[in-house]
Amino acid sequence: MTPLLEVRNLKTFFFTDGGITKAVGGIDFSIHLGETLALVGESGCGKSMTALSLLRLVPSPGRIVEGEILFKGDDLLRLPPIEMQRIRGNRIAMIFQEPMTSLNPVFRVGDQIAEVLQLHRGLNQGAIAEQTIELLHQVGIPEPELRSRDYPHQLSGGMRQRVVIAMALAGKPQLLIADEPTTALDVTIQAQIMDLLDRLRTERSMATLLISHDLGIVAENADKVAIMYAGLIVESATTEELFNHPLHPYTEGLLACVPKLGEEKKRLAPIPGQVPSAANLPAGCSFRERCPYAFSPCSKKQPSLQETSPGHFVRCWKYQ
Amino acid sequence: MKPLLEVSSLSKSFQVKGPLGTGRKQLLAVDQVSLHLHQGETLGLVGESGCGKSTTGKLILRLIEPDSGSIRFDGSELSGMSQRQLRPLRREMQMVFQDPFSSLNPRLKVGELIAEPLQIHRLAKGAQLRSETIRLLKTVGLGEEHLDRLPHEFSGGQRQRIGIARALAVKPKLIVADEPVSALDLSIQAQVINLMRDIQQEFELTYLFIAHDLAVVQHISNRVAVMYLGRIVELAATDTIYRAPRHPYTEALLNAVPVPKPGKTRRPPLAGEIPSPLEPPSGCHFHPRCPYAKQVCREQRPELVDIGSGHLSACHFHAEVGRFRRS
Ligand SMILES: Nc1ncnc2c1ncn2[C@@H]1O[C@H](COP(=O)(O)OP(=O)(O)OP(=O)(O)O)[C@@H](O)[C@H]1O
Ligand SMILES: Nc1ncnc2c1ncn2[C@@H]1O[C@H](COP(=O)(O)OP(=O)(O)OP(=O)(O)O)[C@@H](O)[C@H]1O
Ligand SMILES: [Mg+2]
Ligand SMILES: [Mg+2]
Repeated sequence: MTPLLEVRNLKTFFFTDGGITKAVGGIDFSIHLGETLALVGESGCGKSMTALSLLRLVPSPGRIVEGEILFKGDDLLRLPPIEMQRIRGNRIAMIFQEPMTSLNPVFRVGDQIAEVLQLHRGLNQGAIAEQTIELLHQVGIPEPELRSRDYPHQLSGGMRQRVVIAMALAGKPQLLIADEPTTALDVTIQAQIMDLLDRLRTERSMATLLISHDLGIVAENADKVAIMYAGLIVESATTEELFNHPLHPYTEGLLACVPKLGEEKKRLAPIPGQVPSAANLPAGCSFRERCPYAFSPCSKKQPSLQETSPGHFVRCWKYQ
Repeated sequence: MKPLLEVSSLSKSFQVKGPLGTGRKQLLAVDQVSLHLHQGETLGLVGESGCGKSTTGKLILRLIEPDSGSIRFDGSELSGMSQRQLRPLRREMQMVFQDPFSSLNPRLKVGELIAEPLQIHRLAKGAQLRSETIRLLKTVGLGEEHLDRLPHEFSGGQRQRIGIARALAVKPKLIVADEPVSALDLSIQAQVINLMRDIQQEFELTYLFIAHDLAVVQHISNRVAVMYLGRIVELAATDTIYRAPRHPYTEALLNAVPVPKPGKTRRPPLAGEIPSPLEPPSGCHFHPRCPYAKQVCREQRPELVDIGSGHLSACHFHAEVGRFRRS
């Protein structure tokens, strides 16, 4: 079966006075209908830029410099802007990481959802009003009739995030890109939103690219996981496999620094050191300076992605 | 010892318009909240989205005006002070905002953003200003090469760290940190939490730490307060509240924490509709979703009382809570 989305060798760079920042350094992944792929990785590693690249919304001075983004077989990078616009919000929708970037502060939130419905679904006024309330209700906003008349600043952080989720779902997308969709939400509402997304996935075979740093959310909702580091995918596998048999030293470190409930209050164990600046990557493996296992080949060349067992890929000299 | 911060019966309501733009309604966002913080202590504040955590934080710093209640900070009563009288105290109390995108001036470079509070409060200038700015950037895991970048050139998590560096710059006594690490990935979350603990020890800093991630709150807090629809429903020492919660909402929250183990056994979400703060349920606000609720819960607001050694709970049946705890 051909995947709904297939990304091949995607590269997105920023061209600044300070040099070139390789935010996305050449990544491949695919998502099938009804499937959820989680993209996980340290802050600044290029997750949001990957997401924005899919919609061709990379802000300048950033640019997609190479690659293919096949959506149902068509390369999105070759579509004329007008067709791309039709796909955006309709067949591919995105929940942005910071809700205020996608909400207009001077319009009521209900009207902003209604606009999406009008644009992409061509419903009549009555149906639009009804759908707007229904969507707000689905994302767990109490008294949606009243709340739809609020301006964004009158809502709490988590309510804004839910409004943005409602907007993304309004167009009935086949592919949902969810960039940290539940970071501002407490666990009970988080569970409710993830249930809603799961329902849409079964009812409409909606596929999801889930960006999250919450490994609990990832473990419970993703079919596959891709771990990103400094603009590259360094490991990918099914969720089971990845959590049970992490191979890359970065993945290992990531799993080790989860604060667990009920654990002794001790110092957390972050991975030592910093992510290298994407403008200034060291030669060889980008993780080498923080890696407890680094040995001589690591400083020479970036390792390639190797399939160690069926469907389990890792980019590390230990497995070359 | 007198607490550094003592908040009593703080309340705030907002006006919300009705469906057709007519008929105003009152939204009681913060309902008689009382809490205190000793110097060097961290109080975690958790609760459902929209329950009034950010509003409480902003009220304490007088970024919005309370309807009633008192806020005593370091010996002074803040409520009733004019903004001018407040100015010298501003340096002592800082806030890390929940939404880093809208709280950073988009036209200022990062170096300027962090230097700004140092300049306003005349804490450094010239070469020292620059070195102090770089030191602050490094403490939050950024570096000198970021000085000349604008906020939009950073990822979400990087922007959040700029907000933290700004708050730390003036060495305040109290920091209200509103979801300071929610946008950060785990490793940096761990770094920032460790950092916050280190500078807390060094400068006897006091934190009101607002978050919805219970595991994170547990790591940093000495005590935890749980809020539900504008009210504090439970407050106790961290270990106690996690081991033996005495409010059904706290218990439900603990039950809902996702575990990083694959297997797709999602926990059932908390039963019942999320109630509206515009028309909160009568009596105990939590009763429609509470497995322990009886008639009295519909009729009478439970007071927040000490149920033993400083453990506060606002539940008519606090002694029964624990029956539904899943591990
Ligand atoms: N406008 C810009 N100019 C220059 N560099 C940029 C710009 N926007 C983003 N970057 C850089 O691109 C890299 C990738 O950013 P991205 O937003 O994709 O990170 P992320 O993985 O989503 O991180 P987070 O978890 O913090 O949201 C970062 O190093 C960031 O500093
Ligand atoms: N300026 C305002 N006008 C009207 N209502 C407001 C305003 N500010 C906040 N509210 C309302 O007050 C309630 C509490 O909001 P607050 O931002 O304190 O919640 P919170 O606990 O911080 O939630 P979250 O976890 O989602 O950030 C919400 O119902 C919100 O809509
Ligand atoms: Mg991001
Ligand atoms: Mg808030």
